[in-house]
Amino acid sequence: MINYHPDTRLLNEYASGTLPLAQSVCLSLHLNYCEQCRRSHQQLQQLGSALFEELSPQQVDDSVLRTVLSRLDEEPEPLRYSNDKAANDDCPALIQRLMHGSYEDLEWKNISKKVHISRLHTGDVDNEFALYRIDAGASIPKHTHRGTELTLVLEGGFSDEEGHYEVGDFIMRDAQQQHTPTATQDRDCICIGVLDAPIRFTDWKYRAINPFLRLQAS
Amino acid sequence: MSMANTSGIDASGRRDDEWSLCLLKVAESDRDAFAKLFKHFAPLIKAFALNGSALAAAHAEELVQEVMIKVWQKASGYNPQKAAASTWIYTIARNCRTDMYRRLQKFDTPVSADDIWPEVESEELFIAVQQKRDAVRIKEMLEQLPHEQSQILVKVYMEGKSHSEVAEALDLPLGTVKSRVRLAMKKLQLMAER
Repeated sequence: MINYHPDTRLLNEYASGTLPLAQSVCLSLHLNYCEQCRRSHQQLQQLGSALFEELSPQQVDDSVLRTVLSRLDEEPEPLRYSNDKAANDDCPALIQRLMHGSYEDLEWKNISKKVHISRLHTGDVDNEFALYRIDAGASIPKHTHRGTELTLVLEGGFSDEEGHYEVGDFIMRDAQQQHTPTATQDRDCICIGVLDAPIRFTDWKYRAINPFLRLQAS
Repeated sequence: MSMANTSGIDASGRRDDEWSLCLLKVAESDRDAFAKLFKHFAPLIKAFALNGSALAAAHAEELVQEVMIKVWQKASGYNPQKAAASTWIYTIARNCRTDMYRRLQKFDTPVSADDIWPEVESEELFIAVQQKRDAVRIKEMLEQLPHEQSQILVKVYMEGKSHSEVAEALDLPLGTVKSRVRLAMKKLQLMAER
């Protein structure tokens, strides 16, 4: 059961194609788990379509039609990633592609002994797209955000000051919201974090790291 | 709930249905039907490109070609029970415009628009009928929206602007833009209240 969803702004920007790439991937992965948001998205596509039909038509020269007709027999470009079968059904295909494999194949760096990060390349140079692995029962030190942080749970679950989140749940945190995400005791938690600015640790033990937390978007 | 209108005929009248039938002929490689479809939709796709970013606008006719060739290639997958022809073509145009923008900006990305907006279709007829009803309602209600709300939706969907960019363009606080969008969603009966 999915309890946390993207808000109206995010869904509209996702459906219209204005949301940055890394954030769109995160939204798309939420839809993978969430029937309700898939339906909202379908409705928003109909809204887009209704607006599209209201545009005032712009003259297209007949030569364009002739060019297109002459190109109809061209072979379609092969799909770059033609429905590559998901190796693991529990893990969305899109994230498997970004990882080039499974969670085990990734290079994980330690933020602390029990919290690990692996940054993935999406092509979005303004937003960092990373996977976080929090060992069972461990926490990410208390932090605030300088920008927006999107989070999607892929495995396990975690809690913070505002709620408890399970697989498929989508959370957005803005600057100034301070939290300490803690994984459930029974298993490790893996989640996606999309950041448009570095986080800032508020706990004195970790503050010294702040200057080194540069955003690594690629 | 009444059981009427499960035949796949669109309740919005002939116009949509005409294009759906036309697209079905295109699926059978009918070039005359394709030319007819082109004459109607190409000028809308061009307008869609011109409304978008400066980059997309500069490549408007390229986008027209790309979208219409995709329409030809993908037509066999079109199911009139699930979507009006216009919605089906609009989503192709949206995807192509997004991919084109990233390509022109030399984005090095393993992700394409088709990955971000996968075609997850429900097999249930009940859902398909619901969707058709949504489409009809959205079209009707859109005309009744106050200009200050519809203007924002046009900027988001046709011009591809984020809510912050819309706020800047209209010289409005971001909060006002967000609340007008929420009001519009409510009027159009889209999305549960969040």
